[in-house]
Amino acid sequence: MSEGEVAEKKNSLGFWRSSINPWAVRTKDNPERLAFVFHRISGFLIIAFLLAHILETDSPVWSQLIYHVNGWTFWNHLMAIEAGLAFRVGEFIIAGAVLFHAPNGIRLLLSEFFGVGIGRPGDPKPPYVPGTFTASQRTWLYAVFVVWIALWIFAGIIIFT
Amino acid sequence: MAMDIEAARRTPPKEVVVRVRRYDPETKKTWWQEFKVEARRGMTVLDALLKIKEEQDHTLVLRYSCRQGICGSCGMVINGTPRLACQTQLAEVASEARPVITVEPLYNFPVIRDLVTNFTEFFNKHRSVKPYLIRKDKEEQENPKGQYDMFPDEYYQIYQYSSCVYCGLCYAACPVVAADPQFLGPQALMYALRFVNDVRDEAWGERLIMVDTEHGCHRCHFAASCSAVCPKAVDPAGAIQALRSKVFKYRLHLFKRRVSKVIGPPPEKGERVPLPPEATLLPGVDLKKLEQEPVVIQLPPE
Ligand code: SF4
Ligand code: SF4
Ligand code: FES
Repeated sequence: MSEGEVAEKKNSLGFWRSSINPWAVRTKDNPERLAFVFHRISGFLIIAFLLAHILETDSPVWSQLIYHVNGWTFWNHLMAIEAGLAFRVGEFIIAGAVLFHAPNGIRLLLSEFFGVGIGRPGDPKPPYVPGTFTASQRTWLYAVFVVWIALWIFAGIIIFT
Repeated sequence: MAMDIEAARRTPPKEVVVRVRRYDPETKKTWWQEFKVEARRGMTVLDALLKIKEEQDHTLVLRYSCRQGICGSCGMVINGTPRLACQTQLAEVASEARPVITVEPLYNFPVIRDLVTNFTEFFNKHRSVKPYLIRKDKEEQENPKGQYDMFPDEYYQIYQYSSCVYCGLCYAACPVVAADPQFLGPQALMYALRFVNDVRDEAWGERLIMVDTEHGCHRCHFAASCSAVCPKAVDPAGAIQALRSKVFKYRLHLFKRRVSKVIGPPPEKGERVPLPPEATLLPGVDLKKLEQEPVVIQLPPE
């Protein structure tokens, strides 16, 4: 690469701008992108929950080392905090994340590894709608959204009553 | 992107404000500049930019060539969506309620000046998947002797993909390219599938191994934004999922495909070629009748 090209490459978007960028591009007729964003956010939420969950179930052990109290006393104390409304709301959010991540994950596995529901290549004509957008994966995607909302409402009823 | 075919018939607002994100490599400055353009029916964003260049600011730099969506050089981000400027009607992106349109250079590409971006990396990635026919027979590769046979359904396995115009819109829209600059990108991966699908090609193993990496097809998260912005409905998102399932099959030794045969040299001038019975799938075509018709091939005189 010549000197000039290296200089031009410097003008690419920086790390932070490019990290924001994917969320900023606007596309029409593209619920897959929405699903991608939700999948990512719910993935992060689930990982955060799992880490917190490990800390929680481990608390009778580490509370003895850190606070020098009886582990079960601390556990009961923790359980009392977690019975509060804030934790129920948190639980509700985690339920939403899991209930989206799982069905959407099944849809992604099927289309990504087995090529199911993406249609076949054809003869594009105006108005140029890509085949994937009229294939069955799109129907499933809408089904994922419907199933997600329905199960989430159900989970909400269980959590809050 | 699904075209708005009726847009050319609608009338855009009388005056459109074009906000352009400009960049000057000498001073390394980026700024937004507003231009007011008198719009008329049928005017595209490219027309508006050229009008600005002619009448208001000669220093505005942009790249274009064919003005009809064939060359793929006028890609830019219009109102936040990567689009071809020559195929975007002002009436589509501006309205009486909001007569302002924003124009930016393509995302995920280094900017050279104003709206012109550097495609070196994009084309290098395209080249890296070996976008040409490869035959195992070295002699055949260097000195091909004849035509390869190919049936209509096999042709449709590659036709859609070969209508790519290398505009880079898919690359600009992809959230993964933004996050991982080494990711091959929708266009290159789609082109790998185009040759994996091509019965005239024999190097599918090589290509499937080439894309079976961390920065290859497994990086794609099927956000399908590439397909949503592609002006030719090449559908790179679907292509990448198909490619991935083929990699999967190949690794399990289940991938099989026909390789076309050489069917002799092209016909001589005036020679009559007997059609194989499966050569046409068109309904209502009588092969017997076709055979009786006078010479089919007429090459122009040299
Ligand atoms: S489908 Fe894959 S290549 Fe296309 S925009 Fe999404 S992540 Fe990028
Ligand atoms: S796949 Fe479509 S958007 Fe991407 S470079 Fe080719 S024509 Fe452009
Ligand atoms: S000028 Fe050729 S595609 Fe727009």
